[in-house]
Amino acid sequence: MAADDDENPKPGSNYITQSELRSEFSHHDPTIARINNGSFGCCPATIIAAQQRHHLLLLRQPDYYHAKLLKPSILHSRRLIQTLINADRVDEISIVDNATTAAAVVLQHTTSSFSLSSNFRPGDAALILHYAYGAVKKSVQAYITRAGGHVIEVHLPFPVKSASEIVLEFRKALRTGKSNGRKIRLAVIDHITSMPCVIIPVKELVQICRNEGVDTIFIDGAHAIGNLPIDVKSIGADFYTSNLHKWLFCPPSAAFLYSKQTSDELMETATAWMGTRDYSAQLVLPEVIEFVNRFDGGISGIMKRNHDKVVEMGEMLAGAWGSELGAPPEMCASLAMVGLPICLGVKSDLDALKLRRHLRECFKVEVPIYYRAPLEGEVDDDSVTTGYVRISHQVYNVVDDYYRLRDAVIKLVEAGFTCALLSK
Amino acid sequence: MMDPPPGVEDPRAPAVNGDTNHVSKKLKLSFITDSEIREEFAHHQSGIARINNGSFGSCPASIIAAQKIWQLRFLRQPDDFFFNHLQRQILHSRTIIKDLINADHVDEVSIVDNATTAAAIVLQHVGWAFAEGRFQKGDAVVMLHCAFQAVKKSIEAYVTRAGGSVIVVHLPFPVNSNEEIIAEFRKGLARGRANGKKVRLAIIDHITSMPCVVIPARELVNICREEGVERVFVDAAHAIGSVHVDVKDIGADFYVSNLHKWFFCPPSVAFLYCRKSPVSPDLHHPVVSHEYGNGLAIESAWIGTRDYSSQLVIPEVLEFTNRFEGGLEGIRKRNHEKVVEMGQMLAKAWGTNLGSPPEMCPSMVMIGLPSRLGVLCDDDALNLRSHLRDHFGVEVPIHFQVPIDGEIGAMDGDGCVTGYVRISHQVYNTLDDYIKLRDAITQLLQDGATCKMLQTE
Repeated sequence: MAADDDENPKPGSNYITQSELRSEFSHHDPTIARINNGSFGCCPATIIAAQQRHHLLLLRQPDYYHAKLLKPSILHSRRLIQTLINADRVDEISIVDNATTAAAVVLQHTTSSFSLSSNFRPGDAALILHYAYGAVKKSVQAYITRAGGHVIEVHLPFPVKSASEIVLEFRKALRTGKSNGRKIRLAVIDHITSMPCVIIPVKELVQICRNEGVDTIFIDGAHAIGNLPIDVKSIGADFYTSNLHKWLFCPPSAAFLYSKQTSDELMETATAWMGTRDYSAQLVLPEVIEFVNRFDGGISGIMKRNHDKVVEMGEMLAGAWGSELGAPPEMCASLAMVGLPICLGVKSDLDALKLRRHLRECFKVEVPIYYRAPLEGEVDDDSVTTGYVRISHQVYNVVDDYYRLRDAVIKLVEAGFTCALLSK
Repeated sequence: MMDPPPGVEDPRAPAVNGDTNHVSKKLKLSFITDSEIREEFAHHQSGIARINNGSFGSCPASIIAAQKIWQLRFLRQPDDFFFNHLQRQILHSRTIIKDLINADHVDEVSIVDNATTAAAIVLQHVGWAFAEGRFQKGDAVVMLHCAFQAVKKSIEAYVTRAGGSVIVVHLPFPVNSNEEIIAEFRKGLARGRANGKKVRLAIIDHITSMPCVVIPARELVNICREEGVERVFVDAAHAIGSVHVDVKDIGADFYVSNLHKWFFCPPSVAFLYCRKSPVSPDLHHPVVSHEYGNGLAIESAWIGTRDYSSQLVIPEVLEFTNRFEGGLEGIRKRNHEKVVEMGQMLAKAWGTNLGSPPEMCPSMVMIGLPSRLGVLCDDDALNLRSHLRDHFGVEVPIHFQVPIDGEIGAMDGDGCVTGYVRISHQVYNTLDDYIKLRDAITQLLQDGATCKMLQTE
């Protein structure tokens, strides 16, 4: 347990106790050091039970459920999200399955030559980050490139020392992208990039986009909600999406899509794909709010403690391995990139995957690994860190999880292990 | 209707000579009992005559339990589940479906959420063909007048707005034979093609939803081929578990059916069959993931983090159906026989008719409502449905049949029949459910109630 957590709650407080917390996550595999909340999130037992109640309510009398109960329940969830992200109106919020779906909806809407509101012409450009999530990149290929659009990828530095490095690179790339007189119809910007994981100064970048005449701005905040405060009005983008099952304790899976300008056609696209489904994961927001309020400081308290802890653990690991964090603490949310010892020889994406599997199978440590390719001009002489772990901290994590990772890596180093030794 | 077959011993009887293996082999005929069936559906709301399996289907307790196990496996260690188990399990499910529907290759079988998503996949492909000039402005897509609303929306989005034209074929209802359907379809298709338009796609229901009728899909597909329709998409949302499905025999290019309606899966899951063809690589799931370009089936098996558990219980569902005599086919046959029997009972009690002959009914039947009830518009149908639910505990959808110009349509002793109930029969239904409906309508008639009066509630 973290040293500063009390075994018993403060007298008179109704905060969740350590043993209640353990019990909420007792369905997690107890043998695994689960330091990857970032990939698939987590769901407390209370919320699983709430979801099952909704599910049974549907199965009990589905016609009545659809006719009378479903819409108000979804509306309730949407209102809670509206409050959480400071949106003006609830009709700006829709709930979809995940951020991947939201991205597809926005991209199709942007490029649809069937869309009366779309100005998209072949040769127009879309801008994404080089570190954009794989699925989003493919989505851009499927919808934008296919429609004749040109894609500008903005390369951002990693490791990175400050947000201003990001702003600088972004401004440069945007100017260059526009230099042939191209019209940039859409910018897709991550709020927190997935791999490598870094907080992007979206508010500044949105402003730059507006100044440079970008038509539409879409923030992919897949990791964001429950990780850092989101104020969609202050950020000022046209679309914003975040997964609710990653850091906001919802069961798989649900995400919100915020649209500043509600578009009937966008909503129709979204619903045209969807049809009857199991909505139960979308309906447990009320119970989730109750759950987070069992913690000191509610969701804000959770976010702050996760951040502090992940930075502390990151620095502990970096110290033990003789490496560094990939980004300064203020650019880390509840996730941190920590350099792996260079001698482990992570030389490719495949190496990273193989090492990850090795850690899972031989050490029972679950942590994703990022391969950071040397840049042009960088000497590939084994003095550049090419492997990073992405550690997460969520309320169920304990210090032991990170010690196990620390010790596994040290053991590998001491045994002279390199990724080249791992078979396919 | 749920009695065990005669001459079968109670499987719970003690084994002779303690030799349980020998006895259980002999008792391979020990099928699910009535009380086990009741237990499987004990979560259904009691006091409700649930005669609408067609809308949202049903899911037995064993399958709900199996689903929970899959959900917990993911939650327990999601990374391991994702990397080591999920794809293999989905492939297993797809293989079972391939065998059920007589498809040639498992590559031809994708699992999606529902028929709506499947329609979006096929129509998005059509939309790109227009956008990329493979189809010309004015090329046509054929659909039935009674196509599902979500399909109509997709047609609007991907065809009409892309410059394509839409030919709408009206099918007769009430209907007396397959020949009537075939004749109307031929006429409608010819009319639509009168301007020499190229018909790129026909969307045909296998079982129309409202009103509910089994369409002679194979024959209509043949007509499409004869008339040079490029591709045929059969929307068979209700089909699997309800009619016999043989995709090769039907011969369509695309075929979709929901698995949560009549195949006991939890909401919601469907399969989309796409016959191998040169356009196969160009079929994509609208939600793009890192699997983009690996084939529709693979794309559909990973569309981001989701709960895939309803797709994973298909093996358990197959096991469940095999607890019934004759398996899925047996269930289907008995549902059909029972629903027709109940339909005829109701028609007799009300002095009306079935909307189609028994051979055109799947596990659902349309029965005319007495004209005196005055179902004169869609709202009347909705109000009456709510009234039956709220005041009589009967859940049954009601269809308003617009009278066609120049045609009388069905009549009863008091006037034109314009309202129909669509009753379903699934393994959990009992005679009592239909008696409740019968008596509810009879009661309303005795009270002199009409839909107009219900409006003011």
